[in-house]
Amino acid sequence: MTIIKVLYVDDEENNLSSFKANFRRLYEIYTANSGAAALDILSQTEVHVVISDQRMPGMTGVELFKKVKKLYPEPIRILLTGYTDIQALAEAINDGDIYRYITKPWNEIELNNSIQNAYDVFRTRRELKEKLAELQKTNDELNRFIYSISHELRAPLASALGVINLAKLDNIYNESEKGNEYWSLMEECCNRLDYNITSTLQYYKNSRYSEVKEDVDFNKVIHDLIAIHKLANTGSEQIKFEINVDQPEKFVGDVFRIEIILGNLISNAIKYQKPEEENKLIQIDVKVNRLVAVVTIIDNGLGILNDHLNRIFNQFFRVHNQKGTGLGLFIVREALAKLEGKISVESVVDSGTKFTIRIPNSA
Amino acid sequence: MPLKAHTPNLLIIVDDSSFDLRINSGIASHTKLFKQILCFPSAEEALDFLSENLDNREVFPHLILLDIQMPSMNGFDFMKRYNKFPDSFMEQSDVIMLSSTDDLVDITKVDVDKNIKRLLKKPLQIEELKGAAQELYTID
Repeated sequence: MTIIKVLYVDDEENNLSSFKANFRRLYEIYTANSGAAALDILSQTEVHVVISDQRMPGMTGVELFKKVKKLYPEPIRILLTGYTDIQALAEAINDGDIYRYITKPWNEIELNNSIQNAYDVFRTRRELKEKLAELQKTNDELNRFIYSISHELRAPLASALGVINLAKLDNIYNESEKGNEYWSLMEECCNRLDYNITSTLQYYKNSRYSEVKEDVDFNKVIHDLIAIHKLANTGSEQIKFEINVDQPEKFVGDVFRIEIILGNLISNAIKYQKPEEENKLIQIDVKVNRLVAVVTIIDNGLGILNDHLNRIFNQFFRVHNQKGTGLGLFIVREALAKLEGKISVESVVDSGTKFTIRIPNSA
Repeated sequence: MPLKAHTPNLLIIVDDSSFDLRINSGIASHTKLFKQILCFPSAEEALDFLSENLDNREVFPHLILLDIQMPSMNGFDFMKRYNKFPDSFMEQSDVIMLSSTDDLVDITKVDVDKNIKRLLKKPLQIEELKGAAQELYTID
C-alpha cells in the first residue's frame, strides 16, 4: 500500500509538533512554517494532501492554496480556520481552491477522516487521469489501425482492378465469350468488395468524426455524387436524371455526412432499377430555406415491399436476392441522426421509391 | 498561368508494389503520351536518379506518378526532398500522387503542397491520367 504523504503548513511551531505527534505513525509527514516554505517543499516532493492554517504572516492559507492550485493541481487542499475568517473561506470554496475546511482547534478523528477522504479523491482523480491517457492511446492506435487496414485491404484490391483495366486496354477482356464472362465476374466481385470496405470505413468515420460546418452547394454535391456512382455502376448510362435544386439561401452543414447520406441514396436508386424498364428515371429535388433543406429522391425502380419498409434502416438487413452489405441505409440513418435530420420513405413494389430527407440548416 | 510544356519525354513511376509498377506502366503506355516510362521501386532510388540527372536534358520534361504509402520513405517524404530541387528543374517536372485510400489527412496534405498537381485514386484510370496530362502539357 502507498504511504499517504501529507504536508502541514502552520506558522506556530507548537501546532506543527502536535500534528506530527498525532499522525506520524499513519502518514509520511512534511511540515512548513510559511507559505513560501510549503511551496519549496512541493517543488521537490510529490505530496497527496496539503493542510494549511489560514492565518499566517506573509501569505495566508487561501493565498497559498491559490498558488498551489495553479502550480501543483494534484494534491488535495484542506484549510484550517477560525470562525472569523468566513469571508475569505466562502470565496476560496466557491473558486474551488479548497477541498474542505476544518475549524480550529482541530480534533484528531475529524482531521484524520478528512485526510483519508482527501486521499481517496486524490487517488480517484489520478486513476481517472491514467484511464483517460490509456483511452486516448487506444483511440489513437485504433485510428492508425483503421488507416492501415483500409490501405492494406484496398491496395491489393486496387491492383486487381488495375489488372482488369489493363486487360480491357489490351483487348484480352473481350477475346472470347467465356473470357468476357469471367473477367466481368471478377470485376464485379472486386467492385463489391471495394464497396464493402468503403462503406464499413464510412460507418466507422461517421461514428467518430466530429461535425464540421461548411457551406453546402447542393447542386454541386448532387452532380458530383451522380458522376461518381454512374462510374461505379455499369449500365447506369441509360438512366435519366432530373435534378431540380432550389437553393436561394445559404446552407451550412456537415458536407462529409451529407455526402454519405445522399451518396448512399443515389447509389441505391441507381442499383435497384428494373432491368426491363425502358425509361429509367431518377428525380432529385432540393428545397433550401433558412431552417432546413428538404431533399427528395424518387426513382421508378423495383420498389420495396411494405413488410420490409420499416426494416430497411436496420443494420445488415437486405432484401433477398439483392447484392449489397445491408449497411447502406443503416449508415444513412446513423449519419442523419448525427445531423439531427429526418428521413421518410414511401414505396410501391414495381413502380418505385421516394425518399424524403430533412437536414437542419445551421446558417 | 505558366505556359504548358510540350509532350513529356519521360514518365517516372514510383511505387513499392511491383504489381502496381507493372499495371500502371501498362496503362500509361496505352495513353501513348510518353516517349519513355521509367519505374522505381522506392522513393530513394527515384530521388537518386533525379539528382544524378539534374543537367541531363533528356530527362525533361517529365511527369512523376508517386505512390503515397511506401515503407521507409513515403510519398510525402519524397516531396520534402523533391521540393528542394532548383527552380529550373521544377519548371519541367510535375508530380501526380497516387493513393489507394481516400483518407482526409492525405487529401489535406496534398492540397497544401503546390508542387503536387493532382491526387488520383488507385486503380489508375486511363482517362484520368490522360486528362491530367492534357491539362499539364500541350500534346502534339
